[in-house]
Amino acid sequence: MRVLISGFGTVGQGFAEVVASRQDFFRERYGKEVRIVCAMDSKTYASDPDGLDPLELVSVKNTAGRVGRNTYEDSVKVMDSVDYDLLVEVSPTDVLTGGVGLTNIVHALECGKDVITVNKGPLALKFPELIGLARKNRCKFRFEGSVGGAMPIINLCHENLMGERIKSIRGIFNGTCNYILSKMDSGQPFEQALREAQQMGYAESDPANDIEGYDAACKVVILANSVFGRNVTFSDVNVTGISSITSEAVALAAANNMVIRLIGEVSDSKLEVSPRLIPKGHPLGISGTLNAAQILSDLAGPIAITGRGAGRKETASAILSDLIAIMDARK
Amino acid sequence: MLVNAELYVKDLPGQLVGSLEPISMVNGNIVGVVHNRDRIINHRICVNVTFEVDNNDDLEKLKNVWKARDVLIDSIGSVYKTASMEYLLLGLFNASYVEELIEKAAETVPFESVDVSYSTANHTKTRTAMITVEVLNEDDLDKLNLILEESCREEGIVYIRGL
Repeated sequence: MRVLISGFGTVGQGFAEVVASRQDFFRERYGKEVRIVCAMDSKTYASDPDGLDPLELVSVKNTAGRVGRNTYEDSVKVMDSVDYDLLVEVSPTDVLTGGVGLTNIVHALECGKDVITVNKGPLALKFPELIGLARKNRCKFRFEGSVGGAMPIINLCHENLMGERIKSIRGIFNGTCNYILSKMDSGQPFEQALREAQQMGYAESDPANDIEGYDAACKVVILANSVFGRNVTFSDVNVTGISSITSEAVALAAANNMVIRLIGEVSDSKLEVSPRLIPKGHPLGISGTLNAAQILSDLAGPIAITGRGAGRKETASAILSDLIAIMDARK
Repeated sequence: MLVNAELYVKDLPGQLVGSLEPISMVNGNIVGVVHNRDRIINHRICVNVTFEVDNNDDLEKLKNVWKARDVLIDSIGSVYKTASMEYLLLGLFNASYVEELIEKAAETVPFESVDVSYSTANHTKTRTAMITVEVLNEDDLDKLNLILEESCREEGIVYIRGL
Protein backbone atom coordinates (compact mmCIF):
# COMPACT_ATOMS: atom_id res chain seq x y z
CA MET A 1 0.00 0.00 0.00
CA ARG A 2 1.51 3.30 -1.14
CA VAL A 3 0.38 6.25 0.94
CA LEU A 4 0.52 9.96 0.25
CA ILE A 5 0.16 12.12 3.35
CA SER A 6 -1.23 15.60 2.76
CA GLY A 7 -0.61 17.70 5.86
CA PHE A 8 2.30 17.02 8.17
CA GLY A 9 1.33 18.75 11.39
CA THR A 10 0.60 16.98 14.64
CA VAL A 11 -1.81 14.43 13.14
CA GLY A 12 0.28 13.72 10.03
CA GLN A 13 3.37 13.15 12.14
CA GLY A 14 1.38 10.96 14.55
CA PHE A 15 0.17 8.84 11.65
CA ALA A 16 3.72 8.49 10.28
CA GLU A 17 4.88 7.27 13.70
CA VAL A 18 2.01 4.78 13.88
CA VAL A 19 2.85 3.45 10.40
CA ALA A 20 6.45 2.92 11.54
CA SER A 21 5.33 1.11 14.69
CA ARG A 22 2.86 -1.20 12.91
CA GLN A 23 4.95 -2.51 9.99
CA ASP A 24 5.19 -5.98 11.58
CA PHE A 25 1.41 -6.03 11.81
CA PHE A 26 1.02 -5.03 8.15
CA ARG A 27 3.55 -7.67 7.01
CA GLU A 28 1.83 -10.38 9.03
CA ARG A 29 -1.73 -9.47 7.99
CA TYR A 30 -1.17 -8.48 4.36
CA GLY A 31 2.28 -9.81 3.51
CA LYS A 32 3.44 -6.31 2.64
CA GLU A 33 4.39 -3.04 4.24
CA VAL A 34 2.65 0.32 4.15
CA ARG A 35 4.98 2.69 2.33
CA ILE A 36 4.74 6.45 2.66
CA VAL A 37 5.71 7.54 -0.86
CA CYS A 38 5.05 11.23 -0.37
CA ALA A 39 4.49 13.63 2.50
CA MET A 40 3.40 17.23 2.01
CA ASP A 41 3.22 20.05 4.50
CA SER A 42 1.89 23.49 3.62
CA LYS A 43 4.92 24.49 1.54
CA THR A 44 7.24 21.54 0.99
CA TYR A 45 7.15 17.87 0.17
CA ALA A 46 9.32 14.78 0.19
CA SER A 47 8.74 11.81 -2.07
CA ASP A 48 10.31 8.45 -2.87
CA PRO A 49 8.61 5.70 -4.87
CA ASP A 50 10.40 3.09 -2.74
CA GLY A 51 9.04 4.62 0.45
CA LEU A 52 10.25 7.24 2.89
CA ASP A 53 11.39 6.53 6.43
CA PRO A 54 8.41 7.72 8.54
CA LEU A 55 10.47 8.51 11.62
CA GLU A 56 13.03 10.38 9.53
CA LEU A 57 10.20 12.50 8.09
CA VAL A 58 9.06 13.42 11.61
CA SER A 59 12.60 14.18 12.68
CA VAL A 60 13.24 16.45 9.67
CA LYS A 61 9.94 18.26 10.21
CA ASN A 62 10.76 18.91 13.86
CA THR A 63 14.33 20.06 13.27
CA ALA A 64 14.04 21.93 9.97
CA GLY A 65 10.41 23.05 10.27
CA ARG A 66 9.61 21.47 6.90
CA VAL A 67 8.99 17.92 5.76
CA GLY A 68 11.03 18.04 2.54
CA ARG A 69 13.47 20.06 0.48
CA ASN A 70 11.15 20.48 -2.50
CA THR A 71 8.80 23.45 -2.42
CA TYR A 72 5.48 23.63 -4.26
CA GLU A 73 2.69 26.01 -5.12
CA ASP A 74 0.10 23.55 -6.40
CA SER A 75 -0.56 20.44 -4.32
CA VAL A 76 -2.38 18.77 -7.23
CA LYS A 77 0.80 18.85 -9.31
CA VAL A 78 2.68 17.16 -6.47
CA MET A 79 -0.03 14.49 -6.22
CA ASP A 80 0.14 13.91 -9.99
CA SER A 81 3.89 13.41 -9.79
CA VAL A 82 3.59 10.50 -7.37
CA ASP A 83 2.29 6.93 -7.80
CA TYR A 84 0.15 6.22 -4.74
CA ASP A 85 -2.85 4.12 -3.73
CA LEU A 86 -4.21 6.04 -0.78
CA LEU A 87 -4.37 9.69 0.22
CA VAL A 88 -4.30 10.46 3.94
CA GLU A 89 -5.63 14.03 4.05
CA VAL A 90 -4.82 15.68 7.39
CA SER A 91 -4.23 19.30 6.46
CA PRO A 92 -5.74 22.04 8.70
CA THR A 93 -9.53 22.41 8.71
CA ASP A 94 -11.08 25.29 6.79
CA VAL A 95 -14.83 25.31 7.42
CA LEU A 96 -15.47 28.29 5.15
CA THR A 97 -14.05 26.96 1.88
CA GLY A 98 -12.80 23.46 2.58
CA GLY A 99 -9.29 24.72 1.81
CA VAL A 100 -6.54 22.70 0.17
CA GLY A 101 -7.91 19.60 1.87
CA LEU A 102 -11.04 19.71 -0.28
CA THR A 103 -8.97 20.21 -3.44
CA ASN A 104 -6.73 17.27 -2.58
CA ILE A 105 -9.57 14.92 -1.67
CA VAL A 106 -11.54 15.72 -4.82
CA HIS A 107 -8.46 15.25 -7.00
CA ALA A 108 -7.53 11.94 -5.39
CA LEU A 109 -11.07 10.59 -5.77
CA GLU A 110 -11.24 11.78 -9.37
CA CYS A 111 -8.03 9.84 -9.99
CA GLY A 112 -9.55 6.70 -8.46
CA LYS A 113 -7.50 6.78 -5.26
CA ASP A 114 -8.78 5.72 -1.85
CA VAL A 115 -8.95 8.51 0.72
CA ILE A 116 -8.83 8.74 4.50
CA THR A 117 -9.35 12.13 6.09
CA VAL A 118 -9.89 13.71 9.48
CA ASN A 119 -10.33 17.12 7.88
CA LYS A 120 -13.78 18.37 8.94
CA GLY A 121 -14.02 21.26 6.48
CA PRO A 122 -14.47 19.27 3.25
CA LEU A 123 -16.83 16.83 5.00
CA ALA A 124 -18.98 19.57 6.52
CA LEU A 125 -19.23 21.47 3.24
CA LYS A 126 -19.26 18.89 0.46
CA PHE A 127 -20.17 15.54 1.95
CA PRO A 128 -22.71 14.35 -0.66
CA GLU A 129 -20.44 15.40 -3.52
CA LEU A 130 -17.43 13.59 -2.03
CA ILE A 131 -19.40 10.42 -1.31
CA GLY A 132 -20.86 10.55 -4.83
CA LEU A 133 -17.41 10.97 -6.35
CA ALA A 134 -16.03 8.07 -4.32
CA ARG A 135 -18.90 5.82 -5.41
CA LYS A 136 -18.61 6.86 -9.04
CA ASN A 137 -14.89 6.06 -9.12
CA ARG A 138 -15.20 3.00 -6.83
CA CYS A 139 -12.92 4.50 -4.23
CA LYS A 140 -12.89 3.84 -0.51
CA PHE A 141 -13.52 7.04 1.42
CA ARG A 142 -13.28 6.90 5.22
CA PHE A 143 -13.24 9.59 7.88
CA GLU A 144 -13.58 8.01 11.34
CA GLY A 145 -11.15 10.44 12.98
CA SER A 146 -13.12 13.50 11.86
CA VAL A 147 -15.62 13.05 14.70
CA GLY A 148 -14.53 12.24 18.23
CA GLY A 149 -10.85 11.54 17.47
CA ALA A 150 -10.06 8.15 18.95
CA MET A 151 -13.66 7.59 20.02
CA PRO A 152 -15.08 5.18 17.43
CA ILE A 153 -18.48 6.48 16.35
CA ILE A 154 -18.90 6.54 12.57
CA ASN A 155 -17.59 3.04 11.96
CA LEU A 156 -19.45 1.85 15.07
CA CYS A 157 -22.71 3.05 13.56
CA HIS A 158 -21.92 1.78 10.05
CA GLU A 159 -20.40 -1.57 10.93
CA ASN A 160 -21.13 -2.77 14.46
CA LEU A 161 -24.64 -1.35 14.53
CA MET A 162 -25.38 -2.39 10.96
CA GLY A 163 -29.07 -3.25 10.69
CA GLU A 164 -30.07 -1.05 13.60
CA ARG A 165 -32.26 1.98 13.03
CA ILE A 166 -30.37 4.74 14.75
CA LYS A 167 -32.85 7.19 16.24
CA SER A 168 -30.49 9.85 17.54
CA ILE A 169 -26.93 10.64 18.51
CA ARG A 170 -26.16 13.11 21.27
CA GLY A 171 -22.66 13.84 22.35
CA ILE A 172 -19.81 15.99 23.53
CA PHE A 173 -17.82 16.59 20.38
CA ASN A 174 -15.47 19.36 21.48
CA GLY A 175 -12.95 18.64 24.21
CA THR A 176 -11.97 22.29 24.62
CA CYS A 177 -15.50 23.35 25.57
CA ASN A 178 -15.80 20.38 27.88
CA TYR A 179 -12.54 21.34 29.57
CA ILE A 180 -13.76 24.93 30.10
CA LEU A 181 -17.16 23.86 31.41
CA SER A 182 -15.53 21.27 33.70
CA LYS A 183 -13.30 24.00 35.13
CA MET A 184 -16.36 26.19 35.64
CA ASP A 185 -17.89 23.32 37.64
CA SER A 186 -15.00 23.83 40.05
CA GLY A 187 -15.81 27.52 40.41
CA GLN A 188 -13.56 29.13 37.79
CA PRO A 189 -15.14 31.95 35.77
CA PHE A 190 -15.43 31.45 32.01
CA GLU A 191 -12.64 33.85 31.00
CA GLN A 192 -10.13 32.28 33.37
CA ALA A 193 -11.06 28.74 32.31
CA LEU A 194 -10.66 29.76 28.67
CA ARG A 195 -7.24 31.32 29.30
CA GLU A 196 -6.15 28.16 31.11
CA ALA A 197 -7.36 26.06 28.16
CA GLN A 198 -5.27 28.25 25.84
CA GLN A 199 -2.19 27.93 28.07
CA MET A 200 -2.64 24.14 28.15
CA GLY A 201 -2.76 24.11 24.35
CA TYR A 202 -6.36 22.90 24.19
CA ALA A 203 -7.76 26.14 22.76
CA GLU A 204 -6.44 28.26 19.89
CA SER A 205 -5.46 31.91 20.40
CA ASP A 206 -8.69 32.67 18.52
CA PRO A 207 -11.01 30.29 20.36
CA ALA A 208 -14.21 31.13 18.45
CA ASN A 209 -14.16 27.90 16.46
CA ASP A 210 -14.42 25.92 19.68
CA ILE A 211 -16.40 28.08 22.11
CA GLU A 212 -18.98 29.29 19.62
CA GLY A 213 -19.76 25.68 18.75
CA TYR A 214 -18.57 25.75 15.12
CA ASP A 215 -16.21 22.79 15.52
CA ALA A 216 -18.94 20.69 17.16
CA ALA A 217 -21.37 21.80 14.43
CA CYS A 218 -19.04 20.42 11.73
CA LYS A 219 -19.04 17.06 13.49
CA VAL A 220 -22.82 17.08 13.80
CA VAL A 221 -23.04 17.69 10.05
CA ILE A 222 -20.70 14.78 9.34
CA LEU A 223 -22.79 12.49 11.55
CA ALA A 224 -26.05 13.71 10.00
CA ASN A 225 -24.80 13.03 6.48
CA SER A 226 -22.90 9.83 7.09
CA VAL A 227 -25.07 8.07 9.69
CA PHE A 228 -28.54 9.48 9.00
CA GLY A 229 -28.16 9.88 5.25
CA ARG A 230 -29.19 13.51 5.39
CA ASN A 231 -28.02 16.17 2.98
CA VAL A 232 -27.04 19.08 5.22
CA THR A 233 -24.18 21.50 5.56
CA PHE A 234 -22.69 23.61 8.32
CA SER A 235 -25.20 26.44 7.81
CA ASP A 236 -28.13 24.10 8.56
CA VAL A 237 -27.05 23.55 12.16
CA ASN A 238 -28.74 25.48 14.95
CA VAL A 239 -25.63 26.52 16.88
CA THR A 240 -25.30 28.11 20.32
CA GLY A 241 -21.87 28.30 21.92
CA ILE A 242 -20.78 28.45 25.54
CA SER A 243 -19.43 32.01 25.72
CA SER A 244 -22.55 33.28 27.49
CA ILE A 245 -22.47 30.66 30.25
CA THR A 246 -21.98 32.36 33.60
CA SER A 247 -20.63 31.08 36.91
CA GLU A 248 -24.10 31.69 38.38
CA ALA A 249 -25.67 29.41 35.77
CA VAL A 250 -23.15 26.65 36.48
CA ALA A 251 -23.72 27.05 40.24
CA LEU A 252 -27.50 26.95 39.87
CA ALA A 253 -27.23 23.81 37.74
CA ALA A 254 -24.94 22.25 40.36
CA ALA A 255 -27.43 23.09 43.12
CA ASN A 256 -29.92 21.00 41.15
CA ASN A 257 -27.40 18.16 40.78
CA MET A 258 -26.66 18.95 37.15
CA VAL A 259 -23.81 20.18 34.99
CA ILE A 260 -23.83 22.22 31.79
CA ARG A 261 -22.21 20.63 28.73
CA LEU A 262 -22.05 21.60 25.06
CA ILE A 263 -24.07 18.88 23.34
CA GLY A 264 -24.36 18.13 19.67
CA GLU A 265 -27.61 16.40 18.77
CA VAL A 266 -28.52 14.83 15.48
CA SER A 267 -31.49 12.76 14.35
CA ASP A 268 -33.76 12.62 11.33
CA SER A 269 -35.30 15.92 12.38
CA LYS A 270 -32.75 17.58 14.70
CA LEU A 271 -29.45 19.26 13.95
CA GLU A 272 -28.30 21.24 16.91
CA VAL A 273 -25.31 22.24 19.01
CA SER A 274 -26.15 23.96 22.28
CA PRO A 275 -25.37 24.00 25.98
CA ARG A 276 -27.60 21.52 27.81
CA LEU A 277 -28.32 20.60 31.40
CA ILE A 278 -27.00 17.11 32.13
CA PRO A 279 -27.74 15.19 35.33
CA LYS A 280 -24.59 14.37 37.28
CA GLY A 281 -23.66 10.74 36.65
CA HIS A 282 -25.16 10.73 33.14
CA PRO A 283 -22.77 9.35 30.45
CA LEU A 284 -22.68 12.83 28.89
CA GLY A 285 -21.83 14.51 32.19
CA ILE A 286 -18.12 13.71 31.87
CA SER A 287 -15.33 16.12 32.77
CA GLY A 288 -12.05 17.15 31.17
CA THR A 289 -11.12 17.06 27.50
CA LEU A 290 -12.87 13.78 26.76
CA ASN A 291 -15.48 13.34 24.06
CA ALA A 292 -18.57 11.23 24.67
CA ALA A 293 -21.62 10.16 22.73
CA GLN A 294 -24.86 8.39 23.35
CA ILE A 295 -26.32 6.54 20.38
CA LEU A 296 -29.98 5.59 20.60
CA SER A 297 -30.99 2.75 18.32
CA ASP A 298 -34.22 0.82 17.98
CA LEU A 299 -32.95 -2.63 18.95
CA ALA A 300 -29.88 -2.07 21.10
CA GLY A 301 -31.33 0.94 22.92
CA PRO A 302 -28.89 3.52 24.27
CA ILE A 303 -25.17 2.91 23.75
CA ALA A 304 -22.64 5.22 25.39
CA ILE A 305 -19.06 5.65 24.23
CA THR A 306 -16.28 7.93 25.38
CA GLY A 307 -12.71 8.61 24.35
CA ARG A 308 -10.06 11.19 23.64
CA GLY A 309 -11.37 13.57 21.03
CA ALA A 310 -8.04 14.87 19.80
CA GLY A 311 -4.31 14.31 20.03
CA ARG A 312 -1.40 13.04 17.97
CA LYS A 313 -1.62 9.29 18.61
CA GLU A 314 -5.36 9.30 19.34
CA THR A 315 -6.33 10.68 15.94
CA ALA A 316 -3.70 8.51 14.26
CA SER A 317 -5.42 5.54 15.88
CA ALA A 318 -8.64 6.42 14.05
CA ILE A 319 -6.74 6.77 10.75
CA LEU A 320 -5.09 3.39 11.37
CA SER A 321 -8.50 1.73 11.83
CA ASP A 322 -9.64 3.23 8.50
CA LEU A 323 -6.40 2.15 6.82
CA ILE A 324 -6.85 -1.44 7.99
CA ALA A 325 -10.48 -1.44 6.85
CA ILE A 326 -9.41 -0.29 3.38
CA MET A 327 -6.55 -2.78 3.18
CA ASP A 328 -8.92 -5.58 4.24
CA ALA A 329 -11.36 -4.53 1.53
CA ARG A 330 -8.59 -4.37 -1.09
CA LYS A 331 -7.08 -7.75 -0.13
CA MET B 1 -46.49 6.90 29.21
CA LEU B 2 -48.48 5.10 31.84
CA VAL B 3 -52.21 5.11 31.18
CA ASN B 4 -55.23 3.97 33.14
CA ALA B 5 -58.43 3.13 31.30
CA GLU B 6 -61.85 2.03 32.42
CA LEU B 7 -63.55 -0.08 29.78
CA TYR B 8 -66.90 -1.83 29.48
CA VAL B 9 -66.87 -5.13 27.60
CA LYS B 10 -69.73 -7.47 26.75
CA ASP B 11 -70.27 -10.16 29.36
CA LEU B 12 -69.43 -12.97 26.98
CA PRO B 13 -66.52 -15.48 26.87
CA GLY B 14 -63.39 -14.09 25.23
CA GLN B 15 -64.40 -10.43 25.56
CA LEU B 16 -61.87 -9.68 28.32
CA VAL B 17 -58.99 -11.08 26.25
CA GLY B 18 -60.39 -9.25 23.24
CA SER B 19 -60.13 -5.95 25.09
CA LEU B 20 -56.56 -6.52 26.32
CA GLU B 21 -55.07 -7.96 23.15
CA PRO B 22 -55.03 -4.58 21.31
CA ILE B 23 -52.64 -3.20 23.94
CA SER B 24 -50.04 -5.72 22.76
CA MET B 25 -50.87 -4.83 19.17
CA VAL B 26 -49.53 -1.30 19.75
CA ASN B 27 -46.49 -2.67 21.61
CA GLY B 28 -47.98 -1.67 24.94
CA ASN B 29 -47.19 -3.29 28.26
CA ILE B 30 -49.99 -4.23 30.65
CA VAL B 31 -49.15 -3.29 34.22
CA GLY B 32 -52.37 -4.42 35.89
CA VAL B 33 -55.95 -5.50 35.19
CA VAL B 34 -59.00 -5.54 37.47
CA HIS B 35 -62.13 -7.31 36.25
CA ASN B 36 -64.99 -5.60 38.11
CA ARG B 37 -67.72 -8.22 37.83
CA ASP B 38 -69.82 -6.29 40.36
CA ARG B 39 -70.07 -3.30 38.00
CA ILE B 40 -72.37 -4.32 35.17
CA ILE B 41 -74.16 -1.84 32.96
CA ASN B 42 -76.29 -2.88 29.98
CA HIS B 43 -74.83 -6.41 30.08
CA ARG B 44 -71.32 -5.05 30.00
CA ILE B 45 -68.69 -5.64 32.67
CA CYS B 46 -66.23 -3.00 33.80
CA VAL B 47 -62.53 -3.68 33.21
CA ASN B 48 -59.95 -1.36 34.68
CA VAL B 49 -56.56 -1.69 33.01
CA THR B 50 -53.28 0.12 33.57
CA PHE B 51 -50.72 -0.08 30.78
CA GLU B 52 -47.69 1.58 29.24
CA VAL B 53 -47.49 2.80 25.64
CA ASP B 54 -44.69 4.69 23.94
CA ASN B 55 -46.59 7.77 22.85
CA ASN B 56 -49.91 9.43 22.07
CA ASP B 57 -49.96 8.03 18.54
CA ASP B 58 -49.97 4.48 19.90
CA LEU B 59 -52.67 5.44 22.39
CA GLU B 60 -54.84 6.84 19.59
CA LYS B 61 -54.34 3.65 17.55
CA LEU B 62 -55.38 1.63 20.58
CA LYS B 63 -58.52 3.69 21.12
CA ASN B 64 -59.49 3.14 17.49
CA VAL B 65 -59.03 -0.64 17.81
CA TRP B 66 -61.14 -0.69 20.95
CA LYS B 67 -63.91 1.24 19.21
CA ALA B 68 -63.77 -1.14 16.26
CA ARG B 69 -64.08 -4.10 18.64
CA ASP B 70 -67.08 -2.58 20.38
CA VAL B 71 -65.19 -2.01 23.61
CA LEU B 72 -66.68 1.04 25.35
CA ILE B 73 -64.16 3.46 26.82
CA ASP B 74 -65.64 4.98 29.95
CA SER B 75 -62.58 6.95 30.96
CA ILE B 76 -58.99 7.17 29.86
CA GLY B 77 -56.03 9.38 30.38
CA SER B 78 -55.27 9.03 34.04
CA VAL B 79 -51.62 9.32 33.23
CA TYR B 80 -49.40 8.77 36.19
CA LYS B 81 -46.02 8.91 34.53
CA THR B 82 -45.20 12.45 33.43
CA ALA B 83 -42.42 13.96 31.38
CA SER B 84 -40.14 16.43 33.13
CA MET B 85 -37.62 18.95 31.88
CA GLU B 86 -35.28 21.54 33.33
CA TYR B 87 -34.64 24.94 31.79
CA LEU B 88 -32.00 27.48 32.70
CA LEU B 89 -32.54 31.09 31.63
CA LEU B 90 -29.68 33.61 31.73
CA GLY B 91 -29.95 37.30 31.02
CA LEU B 92 -31.57 40.57 31.87
CA PHE B 93 -35.00 39.72 33.25
CA ASN B 94 -36.93 39.79 36.48
CA ALA B 95 -39.17 37.35 38.28
CA SER B 96 -42.31 38.75 36.70
CA TYR B 97 -40.93 37.95 33.23
CA VAL B 98 -40.57 34.30 34.22
CA GLU B 99 -44.06 34.26 35.73
CA GLU B 100 -45.56 35.74 32.58
CA LEU B 101 -43.61 33.30 30.45
CA ILE B 102 -44.95 30.35 32.41
CA GLU B 103 -48.50 31.74 32.25
CA LYS B 104 -48.17 32.17 28.50
CA ALA B 105 -46.87 28.61 28.12
CA ALA B 106 -49.66 27.25 30.33
CA GLU B 107 -52.20 28.52 27.79
CA THR B 108 -50.85 25.90 25.38
CA VAL B 109 -49.33 23.26 27.62
CA PRO B 110 -51.08 21.98 30.76
CA PHE B 111 -48.52 21.73 33.54
CA GLU B 112 -48.56 19.04 36.20
CA SER B 113 -46.08 21.06 38.23
CA VAL B 114 -43.70 24.01 37.84
CA ASP B 115 -40.85 24.97 40.12
CA VAL B 116 -38.67 28.06 39.68
CA SER B 117 -35.49 28.95 41.52
CA TYR B 118 -33.17 31.90 41.00
CA SER B 119 -29.46 32.45 41.43
CA THR B 120 -28.63 34.26 44.65
CA ALA B 121 -25.78 36.24 43.13
CA ASN B 122 -26.56 39.94 43.15
CA HIS B 123 -23.29 41.51 41.99
CA THR B 124 -24.39 41.54 38.37
CA LYS B 125 -27.49 42.79 36.61
CA THR B 126 -28.05 39.48 34.89
CA ARG B 127 -30.19 36.85 36.54
CA THR B 128 -30.28 33.12 36.26
CA ALA B 129 -33.46 31.12 36.69
CA MET B 130 -33.92 27.38 36.83
CA ILE B 131 -37.38 26.21 35.80
CA THR B 132 -38.33 22.60 36.43
CA VAL B 133 -41.57 21.47 34.83
CA GLU B 134 -43.65 18.32 34.71
CA VAL B 135 -46.05 17.87 31.83
CA LEU B 136 -48.28 15.04 30.73
CA ASN B 137 -46.22 13.70 27.86
CA GLU B 138 -43.30 14.23 25.48
CA ASP B 139 -45.47 16.02 22.91
CA ASP B 140 -46.29 18.72 25.46
CA LEU B 141 -42.60 18.98 26.23
CA ASP B 142 -41.83 19.62 22.56
CA LYS B 143 -44.46 22.38 22.48
CA LEU B 144 -43.05 23.91 25.66
CA ASN B 145 -39.51 23.81 24.26
CA LEU B 146 -40.65 25.80 21.24
CA ILE B 147 -42.50 28.40 23.30
CA LEU B 148 -39.60 29.01 25.68
CA GLU B 149 -36.97 28.99 22.95
CA GLU B 150 -38.87 31.51 20.83
CA SER B 151 -39.66 33.80 23.74
CA CYS B 152 -36.09 33.77 25.03
CA ARG B 153 -34.71 34.44 21.55
CA GLU B 154 -36.98 37.48 21.21
CA GLU B 155 -35.82 38.84 24.57
CA GLY B 156 -32.12 38.05 24.07
CA ILE B 157 -32.14 35.61 26.96
CA VAL B 158 -29.86 32.58 26.89
CA TYR B 159 -31.93 29.41 27.10
CA ILE B 160 -30.50 26.06 28.14
CA ARG B 161 -32.66 22.97 28.36
CA GLY B 162 -32.10 19.52 29.75
CA LEU B 163 -31.57 16.37 27.73
